[in-house]
Amino acid sequence: MTLIDILAFSAVLGLIVFAVYRVNEVLVYNWDWSRVLSYILRVDDETGQYAANLLLYGLATTLRLAVWGTVLASVFGVVMGLWRTSDNLTLRILSRSYVELIRNLPPLVFIFIFYFFVSSQMFPAMGIDNINPDNAAVDNRVFRLLFGDPQLLPNFLAGALCLALFEGAYITEIVRAGIQSIAKGQWEAARAIGLSRFNVLRDVILPQALRRILPPLAGQFITLIKDSAIVSLISIQELTFMATEVAATTTKVFETWILVGGIYFVLCYSFALFFGTLERRASKTRR
Amino acid sequence: MTMQAQRIEISRIRESRGPDLRGLSRAIWQICQAVLVLGLFALLIWRGAQSMEYNWQWYRIQPFFYRVIDGELIWGPLIKGLMVTLQLAALSGVITIAIGLATALMRLSDSISGRVISKVYLEAIRNTPLLVQLFLFYFVLAPIFGIDRFWAGVLCLSFFEGSFASEIIRGGIVGVDRGQYEAADAIGLNRYNKFRHVVIPQSLPMILPPLTGVMISLIKHSAIVSVIAVSELTTAGLNLISDTFMAFEVWFLVAGIYLAVTISLSVGVSVLEVFLNKNKR
Repeated sequence: MTLIDILAFSAVLGLIVFAVYRVNEVLVYNWDWSRVLSYILRVDDETGQYAANLLLYGLATTLRLAVWGTVLASVFGVVMGLWRTSDNLTLRILSRSYVELIRNLPPLVFIFIFYFFVSSQMFPAMGIDNINPDNAAVDNRVFRLLFGDPQLLPNFLAGALCLALFEGAYITEIVRAGIQSIAKGQWEAARAIGLSRFNVLRDVILPQALRRILPPLAGQFITLIKDSAIVSLISIQELTFMATEVAATTTKVFETWILVGGIYFVLCYSFALFFGTLERRASKTRR
Repeated sequence: MTMQAQRIEISRIRESRGPDLRGLSRAIWQICQAVLVLGLFALLIWRGAQSMEYNWQWYRIQPFFYRVIDGELIWGPLIKGLMVTLQLAALSGVITIAIGLATALMRLSDSISGRVISKVYLEAIRNTPLLVQLFLFYFVLAPIFGIDRFWAGVLCLSFFEGSFASEIIRGGIVGVDRGQYEAADAIGLNRYNKFRHVVIPQSLPMILPPLTGVMISLIKHSAIVSVIAVSELTTAGLNLISDTFMAFEVWFLVAGIYLAVTISLSVGVSVLEVFLNKNKR
């Protein structure tokens, strides 16, 4: 600890003290954490036991969105990534325009355009709106665990597809980098022993590329958790959407947003630490 | 076979046997295929747009950009919105660089406070969604510190992009070879002169292109401040939609404007990159 350290820390402390002073003395804000916390877990009136409430439901939807989004986005990403490295001009044009279009558009604008198209045109045409939520195939435990409330299925699918299309562009670039990072000798050796292009990819290139793709893909999963907040704007009922509702009903704006920010932080940070350990362990066993 | 190996082989064949007819016909076939497939694509989209139960009114879009009243040019909402977007991006661009530079220097410094503060800042920004950050700035910090919505948006964007900028600047400084520092010390330069004459001239070409990339992503991410009703391009689009109900036309126009701005900037960046690398020999 030098003099500069003490000065810097006291500056930060001073800022915090000033903020607290402004909140308590100038804005005269009544903190009431219990009201907001009760939107995570509530005590059920009938049974007297704890039950999940809005924010926890929202968190579950966020996680579902992240998982399904990553799965779908990986599919888009692998297909488009292969196209991106293909010899065929048409495939290269298509995948390149997909990537550039998504990467150069504001996420917000993309999501609104997507929502107008898919929810007002594609989903009715595909008959997804007509799925009966009381059907036994839809209304069961496994389905609820995987996709959430059947009544909100079109809503959830729109959100997952939207995020997947969006992140797919970034995964495309990850896959492309992975494939292109494989030494040219590997391609030539595989061709030399007479493998077809498909077999070269499946048996030689992809197994090697996958190892390099996985770490950035894990990072993309965290990015997807964060980006999923934006689909709250098209009324997908995930954590941020629920937080907006809670802030509106309780009028406890400060507590809600600090709490929700904290939830996202804990979620993403623990995933980051987890993936970090996995990666370190993987690199240790490889040697 | 990879592209490069192919190209080398083609040139070798060309040298030995004159013009390469097979390669040429293959290229022509590929271009024809692309034209065919993309044409089919365009046709499908056009037919789809025609069969939609939507009243396309492209003829009404001109006043969105400008109007001429009594010989006087009046900019429409989209142009005004674009101006605010660019203003927002420029202001937060300056603050972004300041934050990025400060954070990078703090991370590289030996002081405990510098490393702790920069670490907390970076992890907090990296692990929360931009939208939640915006709500925190607008609903929590803005009333506490008495900031208006425009500046809440500017500051939120700057803090968000500042985390990327700091990584880029740090990378540029770390990327300068260790020997350069040692050599500068050996010839007796002081700390200021070492950075001024040795480190910065070498790290700037590494920093500038990705930093302009941050500017582009600033323009992109500035769309999010429409959520707190700052009157920029996306907000202008939303207002136009609620006025005219021309959702598709307005969204395509807004997307087109963003694309035009960001893609032309990216092209500019790659030109700059080529230029900087050429200077480096």
